[in-house]
Amino acid sequence: MIRDITIGQYYPGKSVLHNLDPRIKLIATFWLIVVIFLCKSFFSLGLITLTAVAAAALSKVPPKMILKSLKPIVIILVFTAILNIFYTQGGETYFEWWKITITEKGINTAIFTMVRIVTLVVISSLLTYTTTPTMLTDALERILSPLKVFKIKVHTLAMMMTLALRFIPTLIEEIDRIMNAQKARGADLETGSIFQRTKALVPIFIPLMVSSFRRAYELAFAMTCRCYTGGEGRTRMKQMKIAARDIVAIVVCTAVTAGVIVLNIFFDAVI
Amino acid sequence: MSEKIIEFENVTYIYETEDEEAPVAGFPALSDVNLTINKGEFVAVLGHNGSGKSTLAKLCNAILEPTKGKVTVKEIVPDTEEKADEVRRIVGMVFQNPDNQIVATIVEDDVAFGPENLGIDPSEIRRRVDDALKCVNMYEFRHREPHKLSGGQKQRVAIAGVIAMQTECIVLDEPTAMLDPKGREEVMNTVKRLNKEMGITVVTVTHFMDEAVQADRVVVMDGGRVVMQGKPKEVFSNVEKLRSYGLDVPQSTELCHVLGIKEGVLNVDECVEEIARAMGGAI
Amino acid sequence: MSFAIETVGLTHYYSKGTVSQVAAIDNVNLQINKGELAGIIGHTGSGKSTLISHFNGLLKPDSGKVIVDGVDIWKDKETLKNSRFKVGLCFQYPEYQLFEETVYKDIAFGPKNMKLSENEIKERVLRAAEFTGVKAEHLNKSPFDLSGGEKRRVAIAGVMSMQPEVLIFDEPAAGLDPRGRADLINLIKNYRNQTGSTVIIVSHSMEDIAEMADRVIVMNKSSVAMQGSVDEVYSKGDELRSMGLNVPEITEIFAKLRSKGIDVPANVYTVEQGAEILRNLMERRSEE
Repeated sequence: MIRDITIGQYYPGKSVLHNLDPRIKLIATFWLIVVIFLCKSFFSLGLITLTAVAAAALSKVPPKMILKSLKPIVIILVFTAILNIFYTQGGETYFEWWKITITEKGINTAIFTMVRIVTLVVISSLLTYTTTPTMLTDALERILSPLKVFKIKVHTLAMMMTLALRFIPTLIEEIDRIMNAQKARGADLETGSIFQRTKALVPIFIPLMVSSFRRAYELAFAMTCRCYTGGEGRTRMKQMKIAARDIVAIVVCTAVTAGVIVLNIFFDAVI
Repeated sequence: MSEKIIEFENVTYIYETEDEEAPVAGFPALSDVNLTINKGEFVAVLGHNGSGKSTLAKLCNAILEPTKGKVTVKEIVPDTEEKADEVRRIVGMVFQNPDNQIVATIVEDDVAFGPENLGIDPSEIRRRVDDALKCVNMYEFRHREPHKLSGGQKQRVAIAGVIAMQTECIVLDEPTAMLDPKGREEVMNTVKRLNKEMGITVVTVTHFMDEAVQADRVVVMDGGRVVMQGKPKEVFSNVEKLRSYGLDVPQSTELCHVLGIKEGVLNVDECVEEIARAMGGAI
Repeated sequence: MSFAIETVGLTHYYSKGTVSQVAAIDNVNLQINKGELAGIIGHTGSGKSTLISHFNGLLKPDSGKVIVDGVDIWKDKETLKNSRFKVGLCFQYPEYQLFEETVYKDIAFGPKNMKLSENEIKERVLRAAEFTGVKAEHLNKSPFDLSGGEKRRVAIAGVMSMQPEVLIFDEPAAGLDPRGRADLINLIKNYRNQTGSTVIIVSHSMEDIAEMADRVIVMNKSSVAMQGSVDEVYSKGDELRSMGLNVPEITEIFAKLRSKGIDVPANVYTVEQGAEILRNLMERRSEE
């Protein structure tokens, strides 16, 4: 049933990762992503991949679900691997035929890049698996709030994001309803040329726009009634507090960064 | 004399632009309305679609500003944005479409929205949100996503959002029009409880007669004017007059009226009793 | 003679193939006779909306058949397409499907999809407009400039103009005030009487169904719980209540009169009917 749609891919749970302050999670994720790109050798990359695996284990998100988040990037992985194998040359030659030469460096780079991408995806999907979209928006608002000094309306942007998240399921339901109504009047949405199909969307698009405007109008009324006047003077029910576990997380990130730098110095660079 | 909470004095309202609410622009949606809502009252405003009843509701908390005349809420005339905001702290509002008034993606966050706007202390908000959700029997749904709730449940969340702001008065604009019978019953029971147990003044706009019967006072609107008002018993004694305003009466009322037994019968039990009496104890 | 619509073992699941799989409708065997006005009642979630979405092929059954006028609608693509024209479906709040520049064009949308000639389309639009009481001067207006009640009429005309053999209304009176509701009930009754088409009304209002239907089908827990004449179904007040349905107030009054020992029938469901019975009874008593 269409009502069951869930936005984002939050996996409910009570693990350490779920309980981390969303701000810290957001910062740590970006931090580790930067560190992934600092890695030069297999050993430094191995360290951060290990960190990602450990985090995944801590999150208690089923491995199957984490693998599922890798599915959309399989094509990218294969593509970059092929490019690297054929275009990076150097070191011992393993295979040579016609214009194709496969070298040690090519293979190494291919593996290195693949592991790097997989680690990156795992780390970022752990963030979305353990944090609801609402918490992420909230965290973003709080992290970016110093930008107020530069007259950037952080609160307004965050509010817009929250409302978008809130209304996506409602609008999907609405599209479904309108499509059925027009199909019942014989509208043909599935066949014909691209031009015909685009034209066939008009009977869906117009009612959708009309109703979205009405919703927006009513929502604005409702928000005014609830004394919403923007971000000024607003308090929040849910406070974000830095706990011991958050400090541990930062310490871990720092240690991993230091480890990566040291391993980069002592071992040969792959790229 | 009981304390006034909302007072309409010679209020006229004319929609300026053609919008959803007013297909006929320039025509007064309300004309020369005088009405007083007293503290603690439960008032039902009845009228057919386009009678001006929704406009009346929106004037109660300064969403609309009267074209002529004056709306006073506890001695405040909301003629500036600040005063309008003050009024909205006294009079809360619930709308017809439950989907278009819920702003957050989690039930408890939505209930917290109003108090957060008022700048209340976080721990106090937490307490109010929990109390409000318990009050509308939605506490166990506090971590749910609103779009997965039924219409009646969403409407109760919206009511909780107003309760958490601790307004003295709640105005509901056709809160049950889009609900099924079960949802309607849930919402009406909640509203009655707010009025009876918490002493919150309730103004509900409706075209369901069975809901109006439960009020202390019924106000009937037609053509932008208040045409009848009084206790449900008095108002529902004028079956033909109500019909002329495009309204109906409960079936109990109608049966006793058609049989010429008694006017203003409001519910099944009363109706059964009156019929039995009319049969002259010949049972 | 074949039925207007017949379902054989019709079953449909939500979230099929996942752990949360539940039957929305479960083995429904149902016949809708040609020319009848059938009412389908049931509380929200009883499966009635899912059921009617199968009647014109909007949903595909997970098992079972939908037979319209003797033909299985999923036989081939052509039959499926034609079933949309044979069975018209007017959804809840149909006014939200309006999109054309003018009322005329919007009502003509269905007939146009049927690839009819301009003349035929015009004739059908005018006829549907007349049935639904859409004013002639409104035909060249934008549908968005009309009032809520007028929009609803235009939307209904948009389905009627397809001149389907079976016309289904899902909660036709939702959101209307008492006068609007009474007008709409008359409109549907007139349409049925004048065209002789089969009409199905889906509603959770027992009063509306009582005023219109020849036969009532009660849906509960994904299947047909009861069916029969209004008389038969409405006399089972307790069973209906256990399914989350309320019998009309008047039926309840008569049930209470009976329990008081007054000799009145149990199958009363409109006020006129009830008044008539009581009036006769009172006259008889005063004569005695």
